Amino acid sequence: MRNGEKIMEILSQKGLPGKNHKEGGMTQREVKKEPKERTKYLRDIYYDTLSTSNVEFPYWYTRKWNELDGEISVIRRAEALKCAFSHLTPTIYPKEKLVMQKTNYYRGSFPMPWLSEGFFVAKEDELYQEALNRGSASADELSKFGTGGGNVTQSFGKVVSIAGKFGMRQEEIPVLTKLSREWVGKSVEDLGHKYEQMVPNYQIKENIMKTLICMFDSGYTLPQGREVINYYYPLQYGFDQIIEMAEECKQAVAGNAGGDGITGMDRLYFYEAVKLVVEGMQNWILNYAKEAERLSKETEEDKQKKEYEEIADCLKWIAHHQPRTFREALQMIYTLHIAVLNEDAISGLSPGRVGQVLYPWFEQDMEAGKITEEEVLELLELYRVKMTCIDCFASTGVVGGVLSGNTFNNLSLGGLTKEGNSAANRLEMLILEAGMTCESTQPTLSILYDEKLPEEFLLKGIECNKTGVGYPAWMNNQIGVQFLMGQYGEEGMDLKEARSIAIGGCLETSPCCWKELTLNGKTYSIPGGAGQPTSVGVHFIANPKILELVLTNGYDHRTNIQVYPPHNKALKSYEELWETFQDYYRITCDCLAKTNNIQHDVWRKNNMSVINSFMKPDCLDKGLHIGNMGYRYNATYNIESCGTANMVNSLAAIKKLVYEEKKYTLEALKEAMLNNFGFQNAEETGSYSMKDQVKLEGTTAFDDIYNDCVKAPKYGNDDPYADSILKAYEDWFCEMTHDFESLFGKKMYPCQISVSTHGAQGRATLASPDGRLSGTTYADGSVSAYPGTDKYGPYALFNSATVWDHAKSQNSQMNMKIHPSAVAGFEGSRKLLDLTRAYLRKGGFHIQYNIVDSKVLKDAQQKPENYRDLMVRVAGFTQYWCEIGRPIQDEVIARTEYEGV
Amino acid sequence: MEKKNLKHDDCRNFAAVDAAKGICRKSNTMIFTDTETCEQLVSIPKCKNCSHFIDENKDRIGTCAGLEKNSWTYGELLAVTCEGYHSNK
Repeated sequence: MRNGEKIMEILSQKGLPGKNHKEGGMTQREVKKEPKERTKYLRDIYYDTLSTSNVEFPYWYTRKWNELDGEISVIRRAEALKCAFSHLTPTIYPKEKLVMQKTNYYRGSFPMPWLSEGFFVAKEDELYQEALNRGSASADELSKFGTGGGNVTQSFGKVVSIAGKFGMRQEEIPVLTKLSREWVGKSVEDLGHKYEQMVPNYQIKENIMKTLICMFDSGYTLPQGREVINYYYPLQYGFDQIIEMAEECKQAVAGNAGGDGITGMDRLYFYEAVKLVVEGMQNWILNYAKEAERLSKETEEDKQKKEYEEIADCLKWIAHHQPRTFREALQMIYTLHIAVLNEDAISGLSPGRVGQVLYPWFEQDMEAGKITEEEVLELLELYRVKMTCIDCFASTGVVGGVLSGNTFNNLSLGGLTKEGNSAANRLEMLILEAGMTCESTQPTLSILYDEKLPEEFLLKGIECNKTGVGYPAWMNNQIGVQFLMGQYGEEGMDLKEARSIAIGGCLETSPCCWKELTLNGKTYSIPGGAGQPTSVGVHFIANPKILELVLTNGYDHRTNIQVYPPHNKALKSYEELWETFQDYYRITCDCLAKTNNIQHDVWRKNNMSVINSFMKPDCLDKGLHIGNMGYRYNATYNIESCGTANMVNSLAAIKKLVYEEKKYTLEALKEAMLNNFGFQNAEETGSYSMKDQVKLEGTTAFDDIYNDCVKAPKYGNDDPYADSILKAYEDWFCEMTHDFESLFGKKMYPCQISVSTHGAQGRATLASPDGRLSGTTYADGSVSAYPGTDKYGPYALFNSATVWDHAKSQNSQMNMKIHPSAVAGFEGSRKLLDLTRAYLRKGGFHIQYNIVDSKVLKDAQQKPENYRDLMVRVAGFTQYWCEIGRPIQDEVIARTEYEGV
Repeated sequence: MEKKNLKHDDCRNFAAVDAAKGICRKSNTMIFTDTETCEQLVSIPKCKNCSHFIDENKDRIGTCAGLEKNSWTYGELLAVTCEGYHSNK
């Protein structure tokens, strides 16, 4: 091996997959549509908008909270929320039809210091220094934001960059610091930290966080999310009736335990809290109505004046009543959505099966001639713009390292009705059309694939895929239903209920239910969320990193921390190695599950959801909020993994080279890994892709072992050698997770997606025995092949991916990149649908496509200014290319590009 | 208040888009927040424009004495929705 060469050239010389992208000019996407003029105007504003945070909401929240010292917690929280919502400044932009947003900025968000206050205070502040000493700071160090789009990565003028993404007006910084100080010792982060230290082996947890074996604590960063919202109660009853119901319920339960000596008396306070937050939301909506009326008076142009009047009429009605029209219903669900997002730090609040939820209004308006499909399409486009403007304020490690700035508002389509028939409808066709005419990241779309779905609907989804936007993703409805019945059967889930399935977040199968909605005397069954968040639990465990520490006797060479107790085993057999890996994994899950349970317990005691709670069955019926298990389904806490393909490939290499062929000792392999097989570190090369890694001058000692590691069997080639290791892992992992218990006393379960953690966790991982080099990004997803290692086409990959039962896991994740020429024309569409069907019929749970020429992505990396609107599918979500960090950009470019399907 | 201390986000006709810019409803154009304001500026309610805002410090943080209980507040806080706002003009 010659020195100073890039790895792809080296691999190509040895007959291994090297340069895997077609030569020649760039191939553009086949399908390209344009939005309505109004949508284009508003989307163009988005393209030029900086992600902006302010402190208006936290100011009013904190002021009211402080006034109510000593009050019952849920009442104190509801009063604080009401005060904050009531004081949000309304801004309505010209040409908008759908209005309201999280703050008075177009793409606004705000910190919630009652959750976590440490990371956004000034760097020189002692609080920040204290925060740095906590394990959670490691994720921030190793996470990268994209430098383009709306990310404010550096301060300028009177705009201060916070957490590497959010811009804040300079004059608000002292206020932010003051607010954060008021929550020191009281936030979920601080109180959780105080009590989680009482967990035995707490220091191991800190070590795990510092070494990035685990990506983040869910209890104070994103305590809710990856769930499906439920809009039913406001859509059915309107806010005034909900307040009336809350008042009636208060009278029924006041002073009455109802046979429940623990939470029975809490019902009174919950119903009062519901009344308070609904009043706050009404004030918020009516403040926007007033603003619309003011603008109408100020505006001279007739059309715009009339539109402001229409906005005011719509808002004044939905502030009190059940919506009358499709437009009012759409405005209401959007308003409810951002209300929940303002209540708590949430990523992955999915709107669910919106096309089925809103169908009653669509059907009746169309029949009555009140609206046309073109008008519906425009409203759906505007909905996409508003949803894309949603930002979530969190630390660099969470927003950058995990989320890539995305908020995962996943809209599900298709699936089955309660009775088991196709649930796809005409409105869903228009939702897909809007996804093409208004390309934007939110809401991302997912089709719940079932054999009963009509061909026309499926081909519409394929047409949308061919726009290159990365959506819809394809989920296996039957596998999802099986998972739900297995996980939630003990809580009463049956087949009919399971058919209400929707995806929460990227691709989290979420428990839902049906509710009967009545509109103008006609009754409809509509699906909606009925379960706790699934973003909670142990997130994310770096599988290759744990294997690395097995080989290093529990010692992390990057940070010089003894993470786990030394196992001091000789690891004389593959079985002993595998058992030691399992032992370290269990230690990891045990301390993380317990400490996160404590964080979430603090959250539910002081920071419980009231708005999201009252909207989801069966909190209003039971009189119990989320923390008191008011939801119908509560067994949602999970254990998430990352880097499965690299772990499997590494185990395959060790098994073959060390234990079977005995060509190298484990010690020699470890030595090679510690020396990065004689290559520069990714930090030195400035790239996190294998293709750019550079050999060190004068180092040849590890050439042979590296060659053999690269050539060892790899997952994704229908090779039983590697695939059997995947199966053994999955059979163990899926069962092992059940041994851990959430704070609600429910068994946990596996969740297998990577989001963006494969970038940051790859950076924290040494070279691995599969030949992956130090600091480079892991394979994405959970059943995607490591880039360039799947050499026998997609069907071989499908065989490898489905050696285990995907219904045992909340999900599995398969990302595939296809060159546009491979699916050109109608014939190409049929091929892509056949490919999708083939995988799902084999039992795969999920597949998603990037239909893009890799040369376009490379060009975009060089000239981001030319690609503001370019979107790619990462791992469960679509994101603007320019807002993604370099490690993930490199990984998407490196993915194997299929030139034929 | 002298005009030189004002920003566009002090104006009722300014629809803030982000921390750096917004839409001027009079000219219907995107303008930077910190550029010079014009003669048509209509003062928007902020705590600094309220007669109940007292004891302001160097960080523009002072006391709000206009609501049921006194509390600290800051001059740049928008008071469009504040029930206790009373213009100091």
